[in-house]
Amino acid sequence: MSASNGHAEPLKLTREQIVDKLETGARRRLKMSAREMIDAYREGRLEDAGAVLDLLMLANLLEDDDDLFVSVAA
Amino acid sequence: MRGEEDAFDAFRELIGFLLSETVLDANGSVRLTSGPRRAYDPISLGGWNGPDDPLTLRNRRLLRLSMTLYREPYEKWHRLKVMSCSYQYQVDPDGKQWIFRYDYARDPKNVHPAAHLQINGSRLNVDGILPADRPLGRVHFPTDRFSIESVIRLLIIEFGVPSKTDSEYWRPLLRESEVTFQKIAHRS
Repeated sequence: MSASNGHAEPLKLTREQIVDKLETGARRRLKMSAREMIDAYREGRLEDAGAVLDLLMLANLLEDDDDLFVSVAA
Repeated sequence: MRGEEDAFDAFRELIGFLLSETVLDANGSVRLTSGPRRAYDPISLGGWNGPDDPLTLRNRRLLRLSMTLYREPYEKWHRLKVMSCSYQYQVDPDGKQWIFRYDYARDPKNVHPAAHLQINGSRLNVDGILPADRPLGRVHFPTDRFSIESVIRLLIIEFGVPSKTDSEYWRPLLRESEVTFQKIAHRS
């Protein structure tokens, strides 16, 4: 971790890095896959969405047509 | 705030300054995170390793600060806007032992208020004040848009998080910054 609060280069994550964080976080916190978490959120079924808002914000960094956003039910 | 591309970094620097002058651990820092989308639309603000990386405070507890920022065309310029925002005070890195949480989503996907406060408590259930399946932590108290300054103030005054600077410094610092936020926070 950097002690700098001046200039700091943005962290650039690849799709694979983001998906890995989402999978790890969703399984550890919600016992579900990243895709199931995103589906549940988009359909309003995620009761405690606030618990994983940080992960959902990570998902916002993916392209709109990312495979992860293809519904499990589709 | 005028939202040209450097506005994201200016915003990060402001948030980092407010935190580092008050409750943030000396080694802590906030950072922007981008992904495969175009570099600056949208972008996340959070800990050093991303929005899911909580910040360590001066009492060794954690603040999960996560924001998604984006730019919206406005007249000849852009506006910097907040798509979603979450401040969670917590004990453990995963946030299972959380204490309170402010959440805001411009376009919420559930029935809860767009801006709300949650408090992780369960004692109210004892007397049947809440339904048995709804602990206090699942109650979403509606709020107005909240500021990072109000969260810092809450941590110092109510939760006893030590501040790097004394109150003669941090009180006016937070007040002046918060007034600016209230002026530019677009509620629609």
